[in-house]
Amino acid sequence: MSRGDRPPDRTRGAGAGSAGGRRVGPSRLPVYLALGALAVFSVGPLLVTWITAFKTSRQIVRDPFGLPDPFTLDNLSRAWTVGHFSIYFWNSVFISIAAVLGMVTVSSLAGYALGRMRFRGERLLLLLFLVGLTIPITAIIIPLYLTMRDFHLLDTQWSVIVAHIAIGVPIFTFIMRGFFKGLPRELDDAARVDGCGELRVFWSVMLPLARPGVLTVALLEFLWSWNSLLLPLVFLTRDQLRTLPVGLLFLQGRTSVEWGSMSAGVMIIALPIVLLFVLFQRNFTQGLIGGSVKG
Amino acid sequence: MISRRLRGDLVAWAFVAPALLLYVVFVLRPTLEMFQLALHDWNGISAIREWVGLDNFEKLTGDKVFWKALWNNAVWLVLVVGFNVLVGLVTAAMLASRIRGRVAFQLAYFLPVVQAAIVVAMIWRWVYNPAGLLNGVLEAIGLGGLSHAWLGDRATALPALALATGWAGFGLAVVIFLAGMQGIDRTLYDAAAIDGANARQSFRHVTIPGLRNVITVVILLEIISAFQAFDVIWGTTGGGPLNSTEMLATFMFRRGIQEGQYGYGSAIAVVFMVIVLAFAVISIVLREREHE
Repeated sequence: MSRGDRPPDRTRGAGAGSAGGRRVGPSRLPVYLALGALAVFSVGPLLVTWITAFKTSRQIVRDPFGLPDPFTLDNLSRAWTVGHFSIYFWNSVFISIAAVLGMVTVSSLAGYALGRMRFRGERLLLLLFLVGLTIPITAIIIPLYLTMRDFHLLDTQWSVIVAHIAIGVPIFTFIMRGFFKGLPRELDDAARVDGCGELRVFWSVMLPLARPGVLTVALLEFLWSWNSLLLPLVFLTRDQLRTLPVGLLFLQGRTSVEWGSMSAGVMIIALPIVLLFVLFQRNFTQGLIGGSVKG
Repeated sequence: MISRRLRGDLVAWAFVAPALLLYVVFVLRPTLEMFQLALHDWNGISAIREWVGLDNFEKLTGDKVFWKALWNNAVWLVLVVGFNVLVGLVTAAMLASRIRGRVAFQLAYFLPVVQAAIVVAMIWRWVYNPAGLLNGVLEAIGLGGLSHAWLGDRATALPALALATGWAGFGLAVVIFLAGMQGIDRTLYDAAAIDGANARQSFRHVTIPGLRNVITVVILLEIISAFQAFDVIWGTTGGGPLNSTEMLATFMFRRGIQEGQYGYGSAIAVVFMVIVLAFAVISIVLREREHE
């Protein structure tokens, strides 16, 4: 009767002869019902919003749960043009990709040094970055805003990009350090014996081997900068510079009962993330676990 | 030999330099500046920052909205963290049993986790709207009498938003707990079964003790992230009605950024930061201890 709580035996290949499998009988029904209800709770609101994006505003009011009838792309095109989501979309793409490129470069260089080199000041640096893991961006938004102003970066997209990279430095450096530490010692020694410089060892030997780490960093940084609201909200005031989350926030202000274009906006923000998530599900979940638990 | 060591040091520092520079200029220095700003009265424009000592903090202790925000934040923590940890644990335990379609379930629970917080805000604004989905469902099942302006009512706004945040958060707890359950010795379950334990008993006496450390870590993590709630509140109620959903983060944003009271806003930020820091330090210490 204890099968209810067995640890999973299929997921990670720990399948040390999972005997049993005796019942998928009626006693499991409540478990499936509970899990199913929870899945509806999780996916339902998202799904209804996505379906709503294809409905006319008349149908949204009269029949909130039905399938689109007639099917319309008006909401999407209205959000895209009138709602300026075409501008916000490309701004978000630019900011997120720049943040990913910067983050990958900076964190893999630092992670490599901290993971595979012995040098004076190493412990100090680790301590410094450890402190950084505990600093919430929300708390420092005021002085960060003033810093950006001093650098004349306000109302440029670089303010958001630079801040995203900087705040991610501690966590992603630790993640990359973990990956580099796990690689076998002989590899870079061999390359060094062959006369490769340090940068070359890093670039052509170690970095390719740390590809899973790079992928994790890239995915998480993309997720976080794509979804981020606070930084672009504070740093960017001109409409032409805004990102999707800020656009969605102000869309609600302009059209407070226009659920059609709002659903379309939700869809435009969510679609790239959901696609990436479905493609790289494992990397996302493992990365988020690692990023949150291991630190 | 010495010059070679020096060379090694320099190379290493050169590798770290870009990360370090960004981190020091845009994270560490602003953090220190925040403490300094909190002791000043400054509108951000005038050349002079007037030193006011602890005046901002004194003003804070007399500010009713501050205490309201602090209280709301505490209630919020209990609701969100409680929801995520309890639902996360039970769900993970159910998934850990021999379940068909485990991957599909996991995918479903995790889908809200990757959504932007502003998307969460908008979806749930609609769910809770007087003419929205929740009231629609209630009417459809004959409970129309319960329908409600969920976010417009001081009594229901905070728990309603906590549920929305839990919706977007429990999937991560599920995955972490599930990973933790894989570390529990299976023979313990067999032993419990031989002793005649039923599913609930072995959950209570094998799973929970086996996950003690993981549970602690998850609780602390959830506290730290729940404490920083901003997007979902700002995208729905904006702290209202009548401050009933005001949190430290939204309060700080209003005073500091919107009203340009940089000194006062920084004082709020200091309180905010000290609380987050306390939980973060506890979690790091516990984690290190576990590693040893």
